[in-house]
Amino acid sequence: MTPITSLPLTPPVAPSLGIQPQGAAGGGQPFKNILLEALNQVNSMQSEANEAVQQLVTGGDVNPAEVLTTLQKADISFRMMLQIRNKLVAAYQEVNNIRI
Amino acid sequence: MIPALDISTSALVAQRIRLDTVSSNLANLTSMERDEKGNMQPYQARYVIFQTDDALETKQGAVGVKVASVQTEQVEPLYRWQPAHPYAIKDGPKKGYVAYPRVNMTAEMVDALVATRAYEANIGAMELSKNMAQQSLRILG
Repeated sequence: MTPITSLPLTPPVAPSLGIQPQGAAGGGQPFKNILLEALNQVNSMQSEANEAVQQLVTGGDVNPAEVLTTLQKADISFRMMLQIRNKLVAAYQEVNNIRI
Repeated sequence: MIPALDISTSALVAQRIRLDTVSSNLANLTSMERDEKGNMQPYQARYVIFQTDDALETKQGAVGVKVASVQTEQVEPLYRWQPAHPYAIKDGPKKGYVAYPRVNMTAEMVDALVATRAYEANIGAMELSKNMAQQSLRILG
């Protein structure tokens, strides 16, 4: 009978976003870039969905299933971004309410 | 979530193409077509070959589907005695007969049914992915 060996449990690896505060004054520069990138991605998905709907409505050679999927993806990503924005605003307001 | 939606969409497109070929077969039950030599041959049924689409592969190995090719069957045509037909065979053992396509209507209808059910199943999978994405928004409250 082989003895039961404990499995080496690897801790869940958090996706490294590369957030490193660069000094006290500019402690937010990379995060701003990440936010802007995410906003651009969401924007591009929205414009893709727009184009696809336009092509479908004017009788172009586009599959309706693909158009609806593009719409759905744009919707999901927009909702996620909205929730993240809400969280950020709530955190900012909490920081504002710290009484000195 | 997004790759799952893409994979399901590729399945929707593929099943749509399969239904198109079934429609083509059913529409051409008694038609002729011109082959590469320019002769009029009876219509041969088309069928699709699906293949995994490596362009839609996720890191964990989930792949999408694509239509690899649309193949033509090669079956013996049906012969009908119509000596006055413009396409009647002029000489040989089948003189006076006209060649008609041999398309199995029952098999085509079952194919259409399978394509429809597969389409619905993939829409169901997309629904589940969508629900999962919306539920995960509850993490943020």
